[in-house]
Amino acid sequence: MSKNALSLETPADLKRPALVSHDRSISWVSHNVCDIVEAPTPKWWWLAMCITSPIALMGLICIIYQISNGVGVWGENHPNGWAWDITNFVFWIGIGHAGTLISAVLFLTRQKWRTSINRAAEAMTLFAVVCAGIFPAIHVGRVWYAWFLAPIPNTNAIWPNFRSPLLWDVFAVSTYFSVSVLFWFVGLIPDLATLRDRSKSKLARTLYGIGALGWRGGNRQWRHYEMAYLLLAGLSTPLVLSVHSIVSFDFATSIMPGWHTTIFPPYFVAGAIFGGFAMVLTIMLPAAKIFPQLNDMITENHVDKMAKIILLTGSIVGYAYLMELFVAWYGANKFESFTFFTARANVNGEGWYQWAYWIMMFCNVISPQIFWFKKMRTNYIVVFIVCQFVNVGMWFERFTIIVTSLAQDFLPSSWGHYAPSTTEILTFVGTFGIFLSLFLLFMRFLPMIAISEVKGVLPEADPHHHHPKH
Amino acid sequence: MSKRVFQHPAEAQTGKRYWRSLGQLQDTTEFRSWLHREFPQGASEVEGNEVSRRGFLQFMGASVALAGLSLSACRRPMKYLVPFTKGVEWSVPGKALFFTSAMPSRTGAMPLVVTTFDGRPTKVEGNPMHPVNKGATDIWAQSSVLDLYDPQRSQSVLSSGKKSDLAAFHAELAALLKSAGDGADLAFLTDGAVSPTAERLRHLILAKYPKAVWASYEPNGHELENAAVAAAFGPDLEAVPRLDRADIVLTVDRDILGVEGEIASVRGFAAKRKVDGPKSKMNRLYVVENRYTLTGGMSDHRLRLPASRAGAFLKALATELAKLSGDAGLASLASSFKAPETKFKDKWVEETAADLWAHKGGALVLAGRRQPVAVQALAFAINAALGAVGKTLELRKSATAPTVGIAALAETLKKGQTNALFILGANPVFNAPADIRWSEAQAAAKNVIHLGMEVNETAAKSHWHVPAAHYLEQWDDARASDGSYMVVQPVILPLYNGVSVNELLAKIAGLEADPMDLVRDTFLASSPKKGDITADWVDTLKSGFRKGSAPKPVAATLQTASVAKALAEAPVLTGADKDFELVFITDSKVDDGRYANNGWLQELPDPVTKLTWDNAALISLAAAKKLGVHTGDVLKLTVGDKSLEIAALILPGHADASISVAVGYGRTEVGSLGRNVGVDVFPLLTSTESRFRVGVTAVKTGRKYALAVTQEHGALEGRGADLTRQATVAEWTEKADDKTFFKKMGIDAHAPENFSLYAHPPLDDIHAWGMTVDLNSCIGCAACMTACQAENNIPIVGKEQVINGREMHWMRTDRYFASEGGDVDEPEMVSQPLMCQQCENAPCETVCPVNATVHSEDGLNVMAYNRCIGTRYCANNCPFKVRRFNFFDYNERSITSLYRWNLITEKGMADSLQMQKNPNVTVRMRGVMEKCTFCVQRIQEAKITAKVHASDSQGQTAQPRVPADAFTSACAQVCPTDAITFGDIRNPESKISKLKDDQRGYRLLEYLNTENRVWYLARIRNPNPKMPDAARAGSASKGGHGHSEKHESAQTPTGGHA
Repeated sequence: MSKNALSLETPADLKRPALVSHDRSISWVSHNVCDIVEAPTPKWWWLAMCITSPIALMGLICIIYQISNGVGVWGENHPNGWAWDITNFVFWIGIGHAGTLISAVLFLTRQKWRTSINRAAEAMTLFAVVCAGIFPAIHVGRVWYAWFLAPIPNTNAIWPNFRSPLLWDVFAVSTYFSVSVLFWFVGLIPDLATLRDRSKSKLARTLYGIGALGWRGGNRQWRHYEMAYLLLAGLSTPLVLSVHSIVSFDFATSIMPGWHTTIFPPYFVAGAIFGGFAMVLTIMLPAAKIFPQLNDMITENHVDKMAKIILLTGSIVGYAYLMELFVAWYGANKFESFTFFTARANVNGEGWYQWAYWIMMFCNVISPQIFWFKKMRTNYIVVFIVCQFVNVGMWFERFTIIVTSLAQDFLPSSWGHYAPSTTEILTFVGTFGIFLSLFLLFMRFLPMIAISEVKGVLPEADPHHHHPKH
Repeated sequence: MSKRVFQHPAEAQTGKRYWRSLGQLQDTTEFRSWLHREFPQGASEVEGNEVSRRGFLQFMGASVALAGLSLSACRRPMKYLVPFTKGVEWSVPGKALFFTSAMPSRTGAMPLVVTTFDGRPTKVEGNPMHPVNKGATDIWAQSSVLDLYDPQRSQSVLSSGKKSDLAAFHAELAALLKSAGDGADLAFLTDGAVSPTAERLRHLILAKYPKAVWASYEPNGHELENAAVAAAFGPDLEAVPRLDRADIVLTVDRDILGVEGEIASVRGFAAKRKVDGPKSKMNRLYVVENRYTLTGGMSDHRLRLPASRAGAFLKALATELAKLSGDAGLASLASSFKAPETKFKDKWVEETAADLWAHKGGALVLAGRRQPVAVQALAFAINAALGAVGKTLELRKSATAPTVGIAALAETLKKGQTNALFILGANPVFNAPADIRWSEAQAAAKNVIHLGMEVNETAAKSHWHVPAAHYLEQWDDARASDGSYMVVQPVILPLYNGVSVNELLAKIAGLEADPMDLVRDTFLASSPKKGDITADWVDTLKSGFRKGSAPKPVAATLQTASVAKALAEAPVLTGADKDFELVFITDSKVDDGRYANNGWLQELPDPVTKLTWDNAALISLAAAKKLGVHTGDVLKLTVGDKSLEIAALILPGHADASISVAVGYGRTEVGSLGRNVGVDVFPLLTSTESRFRVGVTAVKTGRKYALAVTQEHGALEGRGADLTRQATVAEWTEKADDKTFFKKMGIDAHAPENFSLYAHPPLDDIHAWGMTVDLNSCIGCAACMTACQAENNIPIVGKEQVINGREMHWMRTDRYFASEGGDVDEPEMVSQPLMCQQCENAPCETVCPVNATVHSEDGLNVMAYNRCIGTRYCANNCPFKVRRFNFFDYNERSITSLYRWNLITEKGMADSLQMQKNPNVTVRMRGVMEKCTFCVQRIQEAKITAKVHASDSQGQTAQPRVPADAFTSACAQVCPTDAITFGDIRNPESKISKLKDDQRGYRLLEYLNTENRVWYLARIRNPNPKMPDAARAGSASKGGHGHSEKHESAQTPTGGHA
């Protein structure tokens, strides 16, 4: 009996499930991840590319048409100076939060389960930020003067307006994008070296070799590498919080009812994580289906954890929605309460965009509540469906915020409806084409899973590990 | 580059010499050295020993170029502005020159001062010296400049539709006149604006061809009114309402402040409505009308009544007045009139009559010009009974001899005896009443000669068409609405070889006189002094009118017998009880269709309906429910055997059994802007005794039509107390000592004190510009919008873009309908001009990422167009939504090809339209935000003038203060009621510095702490406490909390979104 009491073994019911199932070995990981890149291009890939790249091209054509003719080809008008453009921007930039959060914040908090999803999530982040960056750039009336936004010293001593949140946006998003690219690339180095070493064609060897920056896997390299990765993780973490806070300032620092509110920064950040995780799952679940070999690395456990985060952030967002309503009521400001109770919630039947509000409410607040049940969190189909609700809901959240506040503001005389134009819709659809095309290229040419990091969380990687078979 | 020096030719030493200062006159060394200091560039650079950096680079650049090393072929091609080959007297490049003139109109010409730059007129203003308008104008005068430059104006003589020339026409004319004999085969048709010179020439022609037929026609004219005046007071008289003397005004189907009034009436009304405090005497306005008009909007009491019941109303009123006064004559007149049985709102007639009677001598009753002669005559009889004649209603001798009506002319023509028909300005093929079948009549004339500014429907059916000169291109004269004599001066040579009416008439009369001499001769003939009139002539040209030339009113008494006859003979309106009546209204923009190709007018929102680029069938909410239609549903209107289809537009406050349609739309032979815009309703118009028809059936067709309405939402949403503050005289009297009465309304009643976390950047200029808008004076006519458009080079965007909500007007007149207590059929109407509020804490400025909109020290929220990249963030953050974005290149692209791919579409602005642009205002490109600047170009001009003056006379270099009210903004200048006041709030002598502290003053959305520089002065309503609806007056603007209005009625949704 006493022998039992002295046992240092972790009790079986407290044991964490293995991060990689079926006791896969280190070489299995390398082989299975690299195999996706090395195998001949599958037919479905071509098929998918043939669908997404014309969509991307169509988006580009729409953008060229819009730039050459003017913003008028969109549906924006006089009360509604912004509509789909900034909705899409905030939508994409929100999606672009999950990757860095997974890579950086979870890295710093030692959440090892992140390793099998961080690469793809980060790639998705970058592509989402690419899509996001398109909109603020092209929504301006004179895109060829967009460089006025840069603080370039000039003889006229005209500087950008440092009081404008839109300028902060430019800095925040560009910083976020550059740091994310750097972070992603640093993470890729050892894996690119693996691909280089495994590749059979000279071209691939050269290209991967360039990317690998002469990685040899030596100790010094690993020490420097890990420090660099840690530093970048530390640098990225505040950016995750700052980018969407600053995006929310675009609205929060204005005086429009429905925009002018102090709750926006945390509410936007939570919403971004919420939407970002939904998009990660949207991409990851089909990928895991297509590549069954990944199922040992991307396990039910991952999906379960991410569903929990969606539930948490969805509830935060729901709380924020309700708090906005409460403040609108408690504030006793007729303009404010009109925006929330009439223009958005439409309690008296005079709002114009109540459908957008209620879609948002259902998708973002109600639908994730199903994740209180573990059975639902681990059912991939349910998770996928809820994620689609979240994607839709988060787009409508931004639409609701932007359009309802502008369409019906202070002076009823200036109220005006907004309807998107075909060009505008196709531009948005086009960004999905760009996003998916980039992701397909990523899947084809780069390791979707951080090989070296997954290896690091294998039981074998633990110096104290003793393989049961030995 | 150093400043280019204008090499003026040496001034001749004889004759007049203009100098800037005594220094220049004496050519002292001080002056020379001052000149050197003032314009140092160039002079000192070449002479001085020091080489500036710029100069150095220039010399270096030149040396390199000389050395043949520079890529000189890569330089932009040089362009030269060619100056006048001979110096034009007084013309300084870039400086405006002003000329007095007048814009002819059937209701009395508008006295004007024309602004010209380098020989091209760019803007007109009212003549501040003329008592009729004192510097104010209206939308037609403002937009007339655009007509001048219309690239689609008629540009050549047409012979049977083919291009010809003036010589050929003159030859033809000579041949026609040769065989004219006594003129029995000659006929003339003019429009209603006949100048004294044309009138003189007419008499000369009639002396030569005594049997010629001379007719005139104006579809929106005064024929019925003139007949009524003749019946009531005798022939050759005109009735002149004097609203400036009337304490109580009752209008019955008469939009006296809108399309059926002259500027004198509007100004007179406004003068009687100005208030300084609760004790000010203020007029009271009762309005009986079928649809909401500007007059109805200003009313203290309003009765919705179909136009066909106006006679019944006047009959009831006359009966009531006869009871009060014991006037048996009036009683018998009233009883002899057979009007349809009508029930009016409880006590309305009784109390109105009592109020009118109580103000005997200061009361005025006006009937609509569309009403039958009998009805209008009855109104004159009522005025006579009220003692109005000679006081609030003056009569004067008509300036023009009577003419034949168009119906009679048509009869003459149909006989086939007419060899030559001259149509001067009129467009009868389009706008003659349908039942006279004008086209047939015109075809019966052997030769039809049309003189007009456009190749219109009539020109297309004429043998000869001669392009007419615009009034800014010709010598002419005119009479203002007070009858005073004015000279129309040309300010530019005819752009398209247009011929004036006078020239053509002179030709017919056989005179070979210079156009100016024709006018001078008239001037001489009508001169009270004989002999040398040169000084008189020069003085008239300078002041724009001959002082003291306004005719004296004549005394007249009511001719009861002829009124009784007219009343007895008046046909009884049959069918008035069934279905609808159709009221033909004068359009507030295109008039009878003559301005159809004027983009400014087409795009100007109708002051009441806010409709652009169309006409519509205006119906009440109840009628819409009955017909099962919404705004934008097409109705089929049938009367007799004629019918037409037109979109319905629900207008709150419209009479239920009535439909109003503006005439003048649906033109087919006109420039591209006006072609097929709206629906032509002239086919339903008959030359009967009135301009409304009864027994009209309306059915829904099921078709939809997109109407471009600029204001989608007309309800106040319970924000009346915040936005459009009002009080009644009684309420104001009660709160006379409460300085914050008007300031603490709506949300401001309980909003905490404003404070700022930030120190305000100092606005420490010597000036501080501000504006007040007196809502008590503003009638909502939108003249300010047109003036702003003309002054600030604001483009038009076309119907499609208006539907998309992209109109560019920098200022708008908001029109709200609101009703407390849910009486949706009887809403109150309020108008509110809204321009940039020039907030001191401007929300737009903080959000612009590129500093394109910033604050000036004198308190302007300025836009740097060059810097703007077009994020539209400023517009989003503007609580008043007064910023306008160039969604397309509206100045460079045709409004029909905006969506066509830019790179394969023709660009550019017509040369003639470029000439209209104000050279002091940037023409904005696409992607740029723009907005009201308080006419910053005028501010700068005034500052420079003040500075030049000070430095010339005192050698001062600091910016001196611009004298109080030395200039004003375009909107304030045009305002016929002086509702808008612009000026320097820091100058204690300025009008605005006092007005802004008025008890009625308030600023919009004060609680936002934007510190607006525009103050609104609350509107005061003056209801008759004895009227049943007195308690409702102004109530819509008082509802501080909750939603008290029913929105359904107050909404005018656009068809475009429906």
